[in-house]
Amino acid sequence: MNPRYILVAILLAATLAAGIFVALRLQNPAAPEFALVLPAPNKVPAFSLVDQHGKPADQSVFQGQWDLVFFGFTHCPDICPTTLQVLAAAKAALEEQGQSPLPRIVLVSVDPERDSPEIMAEYVSYFGDGNLGITGTLEEVSKLTSGLGIYFKKQPSDGNNYNVDHSAAVLLINPDGGFHALFSGPHIVDNYVNDLPIIMADN
Amino acid sequence: MRLVTLLVALLLGACEAPQPPLVVSGVEVTRPMPGRHMSAGYLVLTNNTGEDIRITGVTSPQFASVEIHETTIEGGISRMREIEELIVPASGSVTLERGGKHLMLMRARNVQESVTLHFMSGDMPALTVEYSFEEQ
Repeated sequence: MNPRYILVAILLAATLAAGIFVALRLQNPAAPEFALVLPAPNKVPAFSLVDQHGKPADQSVFQGQWDLVFFGFTHCPDICPTTLQVLAAAKAALEEQGQSPLPRIVLVSVDPERDSPEIMAEYVSYFGDGNLGITGTLEEVSKLTSGLGIYFKKQPSDGNNYNVDHSAAVLLINPDGGFHALFSGPHIVDNYVNDLPIIMADN
Repeated sequence: MRLVTLLVALLLGACEAPQPPLVVSGVEVTRPMPGRHMSAGYLVLTNNTGEDIRITGVTSPQFASVEIHETTIEGGISRMREIEELIVPASGSVTLERGGKHLMLMRARNVQESVTLHFMSGDMPALTVEYSFEEQ
């Protein structure tokens, strides 16, 4: 066969492949790969807690910005700081990419008996500026967590040295105060950097 | 000639420094966070002997209490439990890492630039680790 025909055939095939690729992209824009996006956002339930400055915090704190919400406690030395570090690193990476808006990082204490606003203030500021810490009474924390499908349970122990089992998920709350998407562990910086701009741009 | 080679090999073998039974690598100790009095310790322990080594306790002059803990995530729930005994398998290793087994260092007292960890196997000291924050 004439080599010229082979070249033309290759070019035609390449053009066709590129065309199919573009058509698929247009039909099916980038979808989040790691987060589970809820079919319809769930309103955050009503609660009455305080932020890390001791100011009242209710469901309206979730209005007006995207929030990455983690449920943990400050006496947890391993998974809680590790998760918050991942969220802080993801936020920094997104900022470097020029992503706007950036999500806020929120820690809701599942150990409000020990986590006073003062302790929360020191703890959340360690992971960067602009973070929100929420604590208060066990009863009000439970209103928030049960409405979002978050589990926590204090483990029996002697004295003040106890652990709290808790859901490992990070929730993404949209600026309308709706539970929008869920990242289940393990939490990896790149997963957040990949998915967050896609989810936030879609809404 | 072959015999000479064998003899030399045996002699060289005999001259090699004996491997320490327990070796540590990849040590990382987190600094206590502001206002907190606890840290976590991560490292890899390697057992060069033909028998399991049981780590039954860890002490540190910088912390009033050290426990071996394990974080597990099952069904989306994160749990942390104390492990009574850390077994470093014969000719194997055990990894203490984020989100897994780790040292929980509690009630920090005067943590400056370094942390010393004494690993005990029953009543016998098994290993001492010096960790300096500055070198990181």
